[in-house]
Amino acid sequence: MTDLSVSVSSNAHLASQPLPEAPAKVTVRNLNFYYGEHHALKNINLTLGTNRVTAFIGPSGCGKSTLLRIFNRMYDLYPGQRVTGQLMLDQTNILDPKLDLNLLRARVGMVFQKPTPFPMTIYENIAFGIRLYEKISKSEMDDRVEKALRGGALWNEVKDKLNASGLSLSGGQQQRLCIARTVAVRPEVILFDEPCSALDPISTAKVEELIQELSENYTIAIVTHNMQQAARVSDKTAFMYLGELIEFDDTSKIFTSPSDRRTQDYITGRFG
Amino acid sequence: MAVESNVIDAAGPYDRAKALSAFKLGDLTFYWITRLSAISVLLILGGIIVSLIVGAFPAMKEYGISFLWTQRWAPSADPPVLGALGPMYGTLVTSFIAMLIAIPVGLGIAIFLTELCPQWLRRPIGMAVELLAGIPSIIYGMWGFFVLGPFLANTFQPFMIKIFDGVPVLGAIFAGPPSYLSLFNAALILAIMVLPFITSISVDVFKTVPPVLKEAAYGVGCTTWEVVRSVVIPYTRVGIIGGVMLALGRALGETMAVTFIIGNSFRISSSIFAPGTTISAAIASEFAESDGLHQSGLILLGLLLFVLTFFVLAAARLMLLRLEKKAGK
Repeated sequence: MTDLSVSVSSNAHLASQPLPEAPAKVTVRNLNFYYGEHHALKNINLTLGTNRVTAFIGPSGCGKSTLLRIFNRMYDLYPGQRVTGQLMLDQTNILDPKLDLNLLRARVGMVFQKPTPFPMTIYENIAFGIRLYEKISKSEMDDRVEKALRGGALWNEVKDKLNASGLSLSGGQQQRLCIARTVAVRPEVILFDEPCSALDPISTAKVEELIQELSENYTIAIVTHNMQQAARVSDKTAFMYLGELIEFDDTSKIFTSPSDRRTQDYITGRFG
Repeated sequence: MAVESNVIDAAGPYDRAKALSAFKLGDLTFYWITRLSAISVLLILGGIIVSLIVGAFPAMKEYGISFLWTQRWAPSADPPVLGALGPMYGTLVTSFIAMLIAIPVGLGIAIFLTELCPQWLRRPIGMAVELLAGIPSIIYGMWGFFVLGPFLANTFQPFMIKIFDGVPVLGAIFAGPPSYLSLFNAALILAIMVLPFITSISVDVFKTVPPVLKEAAYGVGCTTWEVVRSVVIPYTRVGIIGGVMLALGRALGETMAVTFIIGNSFRISSSIFAPGTTISAAIASEFAESDGLHQSGLILLGLLLFVLTFFVLAAARLMLLRLEKKAGK
């Protein structure tokens, strides 16, 4: 196990030449995060490039998901969690206490580890989010729902049963429904928190393909424990360890010649 | 390994079949104990129904089906004239008003406690709600008699009459001379009494909503209200309805507090501020000094309450089934 076990060749544009830098969509500067007394994220600095896929890898408890949950201020739901530093979405200060959180979360969508369809029909699962922001007619809504479901690569499987409960779908379909629901609100950034860890390999492949397609129009951040997945879908990879950002670079570089010893140990499976 | 086999040898020859048969006997005993417990419920229920029917039989024979729509209640007439319309009306109206008040308030408290309440306020409010459930019903009755009754008669009713004077239906509902003892007073007390049921069951079922589901709803940009309305309540619908039905069952059958403050009048009045009676209040206040046909009539009232409660629960079941079908489960 001395050579790197992860292949990056499947991601065509990563194969040889380095990526051109994309303009920054999300900028993180000196970010610190605390769960009560516990200092969970230490001085994080990185940028998410526009329409790029950024993967976050690292052993459990290293703060990847925590970081993701700061991007849409999900931590705000819980008392005792606080953050310091700077976090910008384009020109918007995400950490501004006066920021309209509902608007922020419309701009920064999130897909969770476990599929979370709402307890309503498939159609309503999609229409629900759209209705929060837009008053549109039934036929327009039908169009938007179809478009979103196509965007989630689910349309062909559910077009005949849009009125069935979202809970009646299989796990993989539910997850794509959640992605479609996120896309339907037309966000700018989509956060994926281990989106495939509850899915079988075929569903995983579908979701990964979907992430690749979505990256043409959306800025994507994905947390994953699956390093092959990080290598396959992402342009940039961030390796985190014990609340620190150890290395942040092009995915091809991270998986072929990481500059930090700990990154190398992790991706070759020596720890984590 | 060698040590282990020594230990087994030391225990002597091991008769597996015998040991297993001992287990089987235990299993059989367990099966019958649980089965008898379950069957005893049926026996008790059946016994109660049978004894109610036997006790009510003379009255059923005398008054027949017209018992249901006779309003007059004159047990000392000769022969006694008895009709259930007054108590049935009172039971349904007080429970209806009580639920009308208790459901929104109870759900409101539950939503506040689980979704919005700052941590330090959570325990005091939660404990207050539980204490509310622990107050004996006679104390509610006294409070309704001495505090709520005068307030309703002297302040609230004149106010409502002033507002709705001349309005066709509502005017009649609030009209009438002020009385400390009234249907509305009883309904308010009932609402307070069933509130803890609705709140504590709702709080429990709200807590079963997976946090990630709520986060997902917040994640598409929902406000707390939208999350509660579109995710929390649909997800916990069955549990909430269960809690409401439990509360309704209590409201229909509650006796002591209601007997204290409802006024025990068998006459039906259009005004909710007029005295009335409920089935259980009528039985409680008259049973001790009743005999013959009068007593049988009261038992028949009890049977009616039983049937009424049964239908309410059946209706709730049916509603749940239809809701589930609609949700596509």
